[in-house]
Amino acid sequence: MTEMDYSKLIEIVGKDYFIKGEEDIESFLYDQVEKTFRPKADKRSVAVKPANTEELSEIMKYANQEKIPVVVRGGATGLCGGCTPTEESIIISMERFNHIVEIDEKNMVAVLEAGVTLMQFLEELDKYKGIGFPVHPGDEGAQMGGMAATNAGGARAVRHGVMRKHILGLEVVLPTGEILELGGKLVKNNAGYNLTQLILGSEGTLCIITKVILKIFPNDSYTASIVAPFEKFEDATNAVMEILKSGVSPLAVEYMDKFLWEGSSKALGMKWQAEKGEADLLIMLSEKTEQALIDDCRVINEICEKNHSYDTLYAEKKQEQLDLLHIRGEQYNFKKDWLYDSFDMAVPISHIAEFIHDLKRLAKEYNAGSSLLAHIADGNVHNDMWLVDGKAPEYAEELKNRMYEACFSYGGTITGEHGVGKIRRTDLEMMKDPREIEIYRGIKAVFDPNGILNPGSVIA
Amino acid sequence: MKILVLIKEVPDMATVKFDSEKGVVNRAGADAEINPFDENALKAAVDLKRAYDDVEITAVTMGPPRSERSLRMAFAKGADKMVLLTDREFGGSDTYATARILSAAIRHIRDYDLIICGEKSVDGDTAQVGAEVAEFLGIPHSYYVDSIKLEDGKVRVSVENISGRRQERVMTCPCLVSVTKNVSRPELPTVRRKLLSLEQDVEILNIGDLEELTPDNTGFAGSPTKVSKVVVPGIITRDTHIFREDTDGFAAKIEEVLFEKGLV
Amino acid sequence: MANEKTYKGILVLCEYTDKGIHRVAYELLNKGREIADKLGQPLEALVVAPENVDVTELMERGADRVYHIKGECFRVSEEILYKENVVEFIKEYSPMVCLIGATEFGRSAAPRIACALGTGLTADCTDLVVNEAGEFIQVRPAFSDNILAHIKTVTFPKFCTVRYKEFAEAGKTEGRRTESKTLEPYCTEIKGCEIVDVTDIGAKDISEADVIVAAGRGVKTKEDMAIIEALADALGGTVGASRALVDAGIASSAIQVGYSGHRVKPIVYIACGISGAPQHMAGMKESDTIIAINKDPSAPIFNIADYGIVGDLYEVVPALTRRFSRKED
Repeated sequence: MTEMDYSKLIEIVGKDYFIKGEEDIESFLYDQVEKTFRPKADKRSVAVKPANTEELSEIMKYANQEKIPVVVRGGATGLCGGCTPTEESIIISMERFNHIVEIDEKNMVAVLEAGVTLMQFLEELDKYKGIGFPVHPGDEGAQMGGMAATNAGGARAVRHGVMRKHILGLEVVLPTGEILELGGKLVKNNAGYNLTQLILGSEGTLCIITKVILKIFPNDSYTASIVAPFEKFEDATNAVMEILKSGVSPLAVEYMDKFLWEGSSKALGMKWQAEKGEADLLIMLSEKTEQALIDDCRVINEICEKNHSYDTLYAEKKQEQLDLLHIRGEQYNFKKDWLYDSFDMAVPISHIAEFIHDLKRLAKEYNAGSSLLAHIADGNVHNDMWLVDGKAPEYAEELKNRMYEACFSYGGTITGEHGVGKIRRTDLEMMKDPREIEIYRGIKAVFDPNGILNPGSVIA
Repeated sequence: MKILVLIKEVPDMATVKFDSEKGVVNRAGADAEINPFDENALKAAVDLKRAYDDVEITAVTMGPPRSERSLRMAFAKGADKMVLLTDREFGGSDTYATARILSAAIRHIRDYDLIICGEKSVDGDTAQVGAEVAEFLGIPHSYYVDSIKLEDGKVRVSVENISGRRQERVMTCPCLVSVTKNVSRPELPTVRRKLLSLEQDVEILNIGDLEELTPDNTGFAGSPTKVSKVVVPGIITRDTHIFREDTDGFAAKIEEVLFEKGLV
Repeated sequence: MANEKTYKGILVLCEYTDKGIHRVAYELLNKGREIADKLGQPLEALVVAPENVDVTELMERGADRVYHIKGECFRVSEEILYKENVVEFIKEYSPMVCLIGATEFGRSAAPRIACALGTGLTADCTDLVVNEAGEFIQVRPAFSDNILAHIKTVTFPKFCTVRYKEFAEAGKTEGRRTESKTLEPYCTEIKGCEIVDVTDIGAKDISEADVIVAAGRGVKTKEDMAIIEALADALGGTVGASRALVDAGIASSAIQVGYSGHRVKPIVYIACGISGAPQHMAGMKESDTIIAINKDPSAPIFNIADYGIVGDLYEVVPALTRRFSRKED
């Protein structure tokens, strides 16, 4: 970029909202992908923080005219390098789009600017008694625009599904600077192609989301969590499938390797209470009435016992439930120093036991360090490959390909919720029909004829 | 050995809202739960039950009828029996009136060897009711206990800190012991026992069941201390100076502070 | 209810420890003097202790009269024996207001005394005032320090425990001597409770420290506590720990700072690898200067710190130790 580009950007956003220089730009370059696995960022990039849609539109018009790449940055909580500029780019930081436009209790709809964080949104909803929003990717620093653009998921998807289930409309800025309003506060809307749904999960490659309209929900007042320890993994997954069939609808069903439960507990100064068992599940429940919650527990307990569980444990106190969540969350800190690469594959639920067996067998075959956790009722597995002597293992590529082969053999996907971004782009080509990717390119060209938006993400 | 565990139901402090402008505490929306310190008292009793034969645990609470839920949770976590003291007349009791009611009920229960209570409650914060109950009953007590053992019909306790020293004490029964969080590590109940707790009977006692109690010596009327005002102080904030990657600058600042305060 | 006129004096109840009279008594004399003057009452102190205890400092710090119940039986702290004696004393001398430090001993003994006397007790006061109507008002935090309640007692004596280090010690006038009275114990035998062993708590008394270097979950192993101890040594301070570290078996509960541990108020508090859970902050937020070392820039401890550094305690703490040990040489 040239001095002229810089001064144009400063003219649009003001000099306080323009960041340049190797040191200052550092905090605008990465997301939460492991250091060893990050795409290489181009530090010549500059960041701008537009105040509103109009400023953003001006920036896009200029960038499009000068063919300068543009990368959008939200809360940077992603796990696929999506917001890392790999070419000299204008980084659009959305943090000033932080206004909650409207909480419409009549329609049970919220209208938010894209830079509103999940934490800010949930705090706002706290003021309205009994209203909440269920999608929770784990990190509340995530911005709502980013959650929409990446179609975020998280543990609670078992009952509530992922982001795309809850978004009714968007305001977006196209690479050409045009502003589009898509959808609205409508439950039914069958007029024309559904561009809203096309943009959700497009990872900032088609346009920039500036506003989201999404559904909000009455909160459940009664919550509890159950720890169900099983000796055999098959028993655990059979129990999960039976629970899902029983009509009980848990918020989340989480599996982690026993050493992760135990190690994370210990790191937090706690003790993992399920001593027996090799396959422990954490089942999170919420209901409108206490009776419904008790009924859920009764059904789940019966199913677990039938599938040979050890004594299932019950957490009802807020603090007890939070402790379990902390242990679940701590696993990342517990293992992060060993990590080389983390995966996000998903298979149909009926195959999850076989699939996890395959993954463990493969790790053993390569004598590879690994750990595994899963949003098990979604069929979504997060397994890791560990560093060898602080370096990428020699077998990394080969092992990855064999894990993918196993995944595909069950009709699975390389990414359940984290997205493709820049680190899984070549993996995507392994999975997709070339014709499908060709259609992606066609769509991309319609939205972004000069290819300036987030180059290197999803498709080349 | 018959053990009574005194339990208080308190609001979940994480969800209680404090309005510093209006000076009010808003408990609405806060979940009621067993006082966290009482969880340690209950678990201390359960640990004794696991370690010795013939230990029976009765959980006792005073509160509105809904406190029955907390008693049932205590059952799920290992209590064998539950007693609820509830009466409109009990409302507004300070620690002295509360201790009078609890001790009246304990005399009514009659058969007990050891009373265990938690260090303090997270809402009242007084840590007084235990010793006051012991005084009403005329039995010995120890506070700040972090270990309990049973020895020849007596109770051996370790007091963490009293006047700067640790003490080992042997107490004759009946006696009262108030425990710190270090005495035990609370555990989750099993789902099975939680479900079982819902089918149990809770003994309910009210003012008419306890001879020594009258509307004049319980509740607000029977309380010698009166709250005249409640103030919610604003949050203390400090002018924070944060250093990043400048250990030398940080160390220099600390040195300056220590020097100013006359510590070096 | 008794007539107010028959009750006289502000009485400070002193705690005897093996270091002599607990210093909280001198703080109570300071606040007690203010109350005594406003109510037009004398300020008195009661010591229940063995013979060899020097009570003159109580006079030098403002007590108008000192009572000393002398007995070898008081050498080891025990609340019930203390109660038996104090209750009889109070019945005989009828003080209007009784103050005792909210130490472990005070909190355990005071409710028994108050209950035996049938009077109200206010716990853990942080202020005592006489209002415009001339009433004695006790101010105390409740709801885990989130509110301050103003409390009146309608019985006599008006009795409260007062937080240690809440008030400055009363000034000392060397050589000031006032009336003192020695009393025989009313009771010498502990009933129902035998003290079989008394030992050190195994740590410096953290509530007395001027400098505390406290460790949190950022410290990974027991061995690593050495780097915290080294800094504490270099600064002439005491080591503290968060609840998480005690739970993990890395630190002793004797040094635990927080709502369920010790409430401390040192001149300088250095939090190393402590994120700042509300329960921890309740125990140290009133320290004069708070310094925080934490890897996580969003750790809540930074919100109440005066100075902080975003960094790894394993690098920062030894660097500080090196700097301050050098100075000591």
